[in-house]
Amino acid sequence: MIDRNLLRNTDWILIGILLLNSILGVAFIYSSSHYLPGGYYVKQIFWIILSLIALFLFLAIDYDTLVTYSFYLYIIFVGVLGGLLFFGTPIAGAKSWIKLPFFSFQPSEVIKIMIILLLAHLFAKFRRDYLSWSKGFLGVAVIAVPGFFVALQPDLGTAFSYIFILLAAFILAGLNRKTIIGILIFGLILGIFGWNFALKDYQKKRLTALISPSQDPLGSGYHILQSKIAIGSGGFLGKGFGKGTQSQLRFLPARHTDFVFSVIGEEFGFLGVVLIMLSYSFLLWRLFQTIGHSRDRAGVYIIFMVAIMIAFQFLINLMMIIGLFPIAGIPLPLFSYGGSSLLTTYLGVALVLNVKMRRFANV
Amino acid sequence: MKNDKIYEDLILVLSRSKKIFILILVLTAFLLLNFWKIQVLDHKKYWEQSEANRMREIVLSSQRGLIKDRWETILADNKASFKVSIIRENCEDYDKSCRKISRLLKIEEDVLKERIKKYESFPLFKPIVVKENLSFEEVAVIEARKLEFPELILQAEPKRFYPFGSLAAHALGYIQELSGDEIKNGLYQQRRLGDLIGKTGVEKVYEATLVGNDGEALEIVDSVGRSKGEIKRRDPQKGQNLMLTLDYALQEKAEELLEGREGAVVMMDPRTGEILALASFPTFDPNKFIDRFTPEEWLDLVNSPEFPLENRAVRGQYAPGSIFKLVVDLGALELGIIDEETTFKCKGEVEIYNEPFACWVEKGHGEMNLIQGIRNSCNIFHYQVGKTMGIEEISRYARMLGFGARTGIDLPGEKIGLVPDPEWSREVRNERWQPGETISVSIGQGPLLVTPLQVAIYTSIIATRGRKVTPHLLNSQSQTGNKVFEESNKVEIQPSTFETIIQGMWEVVNRGGTGWAANVQGFDICGKTGSTQLISTEKDEEKKEIEEEEEEEETRTHSWFTGFASKDDPKVVVTVIVEYGGMGGATAAPLARQLFNLYRRKYD
Repeated sequence: MIDRNLLRNTDWILIGILLLNSILGVAFIYSSSHYLPGGYYVKQIFWIILSLIALFLFLAIDYDTLVTYSFYLYIIFVGVLGGLLFFGTPIAGAKSWIKLPFFSFQPSEVIKIMIILLLAHLFAKFRRDYLSWSKGFLGVAVIAVPGFFVALQPDLGTAFSYIFILLAAFILAGLNRKTIIGILIFGLILGIFGWNFALKDYQKKRLTALISPSQDPLGSGYHILQSKIAIGSGGFLGKGFGKGTQSQLRFLPARHTDFVFSVIGEEFGFLGVVLIMLSYSFLLWRLFQTIGHSRDRAGVYIIFMVAIMIAFQFLINLMMIIGLFPIAGIPLPLFSYGGSSLLTTYLGVALVLNVKMRRFANV
Repeated sequence: MKNDKIYEDLILVLSRSKKIFILILVLTAFLLLNFWKIQVLDHKKYWEQSEANRMREIVLSSQRGLIKDRWETILADNKASFKVSIIRENCEDYDKSCRKISRLLKIEEDVLKERIKKYESFPLFKPIVVKENLSFEEVAVIEARKLEFPELILQAEPKRFYPFGSLAAHALGYIQELSGDEIKNGLYQQRRLGDLIGKTGVEKVYEATLVGNDGEALEIVDSVGRSKGEIKRRDPQKGQNLMLTLDYALQEKAEELLEGREGAVVMMDPRTGEILALASFPTFDPNKFIDRFTPEEWLDLVNSPEFPLENRAVRGQYAPGSIFKLVVDLGALELGIIDEETTFKCKGEVEIYNEPFACWVEKGHGEMNLIQGIRNSCNIFHYQVGKTMGIEEISRYARMLGFGARTGIDLPGEKIGLVPDPEWSREVRNERWQPGETISVSIGQGPLLVTPLQVAIYTSIIATRGRKVTPHLLNSQSQTGNKVFEESNKVEIQPSTFETIIQGMWEVVNRGGTGWAANVQGFDICGKTGSTQLISTEKDEEKKEIEEEEEEEETRTHSWFTGFASKDDPKVVVTVIVEYGGMGGATAAPLARQLFNLYRRKYD
């Protein structure tokens, strides 16, 4: 299936940036967790290798085939998510993981790829200038089912991140003023309803802590405050690799996962932050730049949704650690420790590469 | 045409994606501005916060409740003590720290490391005790070099102190560090590694009452460990005090009398079950166990061949010897097998079931009735009575009088002794009950086993003419305030039967009987002596029969005396056993006399 042309058309630069960013991630995971038992950085290296293999395997299959069978893939994963609710054992309070002998696996992450494929399938033949009601509702249904299951786990952060994938599809399909207003009103109603009925107390506290973190410095505001102290105390040049007092003395929570960027801020200062942001922006730019290189509409949607998925997790994670967004448990793709998130990002990029390398292929 | 359409559409789509990319870049730039503000503009503020940002949690030890005797004499007290702990996260270089600390505190470096290793599972910011009971000099030295040792922290803690050393050690028990196993078992859920808990005695039984609630303080400390103030504080709550039924003077006397011997003394109020003195010898000083780090001394005691840690009063199991004869007499009299006039002739030896059974007086006592049989502790008399009565009835009355069961005292690990019968013989020994054994049991020998406390309870049942009390050490109002006997505590033996036996016991002490040495003029003591030829710990049950034949009888004789006073107004029971003490009348009875004497001077 892979001929020389395909190999020549593979975007090796994109793969390079991807690897570069994930290896930088390992360094920070090491810095923030090497004194803990569990060998997180070793596990992360293992996951990078695994994800890279998965990426190349994914390239072998024409994305067109994936899109065609996307509904079945989607159904399988929705089934797994439903099953987890019944048979899953909670880890850290959420039934999000499938426990395997050497590692745990989070299907709620990987289903993002299936959502992207199914939405691409849905919008592949869409020819109008603006989003239609029927496509709109279908799209909502696609993320609502897994979103509902994942919210029940409970893992609102991940469920929330599905919305951005859908929003990406809607944006491409075209949103006129009326639809935007409609979405805003819907969001507002959902928000009010959610605040009163669905959100748990600790989740509400996180939202209030956002407005005034110093109100309860040892409670919900603690994470934000400690994270800001870590970043701020890093200054322009940082305290040096492995020398962040906030992270090394364990004031900073979830240092190697959601708050890994705070460690970067503390140990490498503003300079480090700028460099990492540049490196990340380069990855995003490369993804967006690929959008034009697609042979069909499904490909355009796929690339755009993957780019948005990564971009928004990046933006929200950074907003979260400096207190501009509630702590929603959204990891920083490629940097935060976590195999499922890493694998999803790699598979997403694999889809992009897949589309790009087959742009000249005959349908 | 179709292709054109796609091409046009893609332009629209691509322009949309471009707008979004620009939006993302704008948002990224906006974020970058935020980071600029936090990291560059506000850097100083956050830098200071991060320096101040070292919190420390300190446990404020609660004070254990005091234990007092019935006259408010403090038997278990607390005194202030200083301990020094290491906070590992403040060490710049752990190994170097250990080296310096070992020199400062004069602890071997590997010993120090061993201590710290025990608490490895603690988070790094938690203090780990490395030395306690610091002298004033040591406190001064550590205080003076505080800046040099940011990883060390001095804390004062109230420490258990037994002002009278070994006094009542077995009843009080001792406290020791909670073991890892005890934490894993979940027995002490509120407690942490490093806490001291009651391991035995009253300290253990009333642990929940005695222990208070530890407080804690959350301190912010700077990078060199100086406190910058507290964030939260929960003050420790003191544990409740306990008042015991023990009488300091009687306890002291009992231990003084046992000094140099092995044995036990129980003094009890037969009306209420209040334990006035509970002594076991050899004993130990519980102050020695409170230190967290004295394994050698502790092992010495545990492994001592004299078992100083064993509370012989409730855990020592002995053959009762002649003091058991009263069980046979009570039963036989109650059953009508004998009456006060029944006599047997003692010729010094008798043949029963083709076996010779001897009396302790070789020449024999001559013609004996019941009262005389008790007074002289005649074996022949009791062989005959026991033979007629049979083992089933003997064991039934033994159980009725408190043997073979826990007395229910508020101390841990009480032993139940052994009341043998044919069923026991079949099930446990796997052999038939020999009729000759019944003869032995009649005089308190054979497989019978009793604890000194059971003997005291047995004596109190006789003294009160059939009332059975639960012995206790806790002097709570509900238990002592003129407790009314419940009907169920009444033993099914007629008061008149008791009167006859009591008359015999009175003669034992007051009419030249075997217990004459316990006599206190005018106190009307009633008692019974006992001399047993065997030690009866469970383990050497088999060995003892061989030993019995080999060794000379006198050296193997335990000396018993149990009695009460006064005859018509029983207020105190005294039970004494002296291991290898020889004849009961010779050793135990004079000891009991001194205790009766002291009691009389103090209370009567």
